Amino acid sequence: MRALTEVFNSPAFAIGMTLVLYWASLRVQKRYMWASPLVTASLALVLLLYVLRIPYADYRIGGNVFTYLLGPATVALGVPMYKQGIKLKGSLRRLLVVVLAGSIVGMFTAGIVAWLFGASHEVIMSTLPKSVTTPIAIQVSAELHGNPAITAAMVLVTGVLGSIVGPSVLRMSHIFHDNAHGAAIGTSSHAVGTASLLRTSEVQGSVSSLAMAMAGVITSILAMLLTWYWH
Amino acid sequence: MKTFKVILGFSILIGFQLAGMGLHKVGVPLPAGVLGLLLFTTALAIEIVKVEWVETTADFLVRHMLLLFIPLMAGLTQMSAELRRDGVALLASLIASLIAVLLTTGGLAHFLLRDVVPAAATEPEDK
Repeated sequence: MRALTEVFNSPAFAIGMTLVLYWASLRVQKRYMWASPLVTASLALVLLLYVLRIPYADYRIGGNVFTYLLGPATVALGVPMYKQGIKLKGSLRRLLVVVLAGSIVGMFTAGIVAWLFGASHEVIMSTLPKSVTTPIAIQVSAELHGNPAITAAMVLVTGVLGSIVGPSVLRMSHIFHDNAHGAAIGTSSHAVGTASLLRTSEVQGSVSSLAMAMAGVITSILAMLLTWYWH
Repeated sequence: MKTFKVILGFSILIGFQLAGMGLHKVGVPLPAGVLGLLLFTTALAIEIVKVEWVETTADFLVRHMLLLFIPLMAGLTQMSAELRRDGVALLASLIASLIAVLLTTGGLAHFLLRDVVPAAATEPEDK
C-alpha cells in the first residue's frame, strides 16, 4: 500500500493522469457537445485525487509541467494572430475598435459591480483582467496589486461560462454573424472560449483567436495606463 | 523532419518568451507574456521568423490549450476560503461583465464586420 501511494503521488502519475483525463474528456465531448472538456477533465481529476488520496500539493508538482507550457502557448497565439491578420487585413482596424470597446466595457463593469458589492480594493483590482487568457491575466493582476489567485479563478470560470452560454446569449440578441460570434467570444472568454469555438466552427474560432490575442494586449495596456493614473 | 520542426518551433517560442521576460525585467511596463507575443507577431509580420518554422508547434499548443488549464482549474478547490469570502461580489462582477462584453463586442462587430468575408470563404482552412 505504501509503495502504491508513492506511485500515485509521483509527478509522472500526475502527468499521465492529466493526459488521460484530457483525452477522455475530448471523447466525452464528441458524444455530448455541451460538455466542456475543461470542466469534465477537471471534475474527474478532483474526484480522482480525492479517491486515490493524492494531496493537491503533490499532484501540482507534475501538473506544473502543463502550467509552465502556458508561457510558450501564449507566445504561440502569435501564429493565429498573424494568419488571421493577413486574411482580415482590410478590416483589422475595425476589429481593433470592436475588441477595444469590449475590453474597456469588460474591465469597468467587472470593477464597478465588484465595488457595488463592497469588495476590497485588492479584490476589485483582481476582477479587472478577468476576460483575458490566464498567463496574461495573472501578470496584469500582479501589476494592478490584485490577488493573482483570485484573478485566475475568475478567468477560468469566465471562460467556461462564456463558452457554454456565450453563443446562446448572442443568438438571443439576434447576433448571428460568424465574425461577431468570434470577436465576442474571443474578447470575453479567451482561450477556453476560442478552443470550444474551434471545435464547431473554424471561421469563428480563428476570428476568436485573433480577438483574444488583441484583448490580451489591449487589457494589459489599459491596466498599465490605470496604474500610471493612480501613482 | 517533423521532429526537427517541432523542436525548432518550440525553441523559437521559448526564445520569444524569454525575450519578453527580459524586456519586462529591463522595465517595459507590459506583462512578459504580452511582450513575447508582440515581439513574436512582429517577427512573423516582417518575416524574420517564417511561419512554416513555428506553425506545427504553435498550432498544437493553441489547439490543446485547454489541457494546459486543467491543473489550475482543479486547483480552484484549494482556494475555497478566499473565494467564499468575496464569492457573491466576484460572481456578480463576473456575470455582469461577461454579458456586457458579449453584447458590446458582438453588437459592434455585427455592424462593423458583417460585410467582411469570413476567412474560410476566401480560402479553405488548413488542417
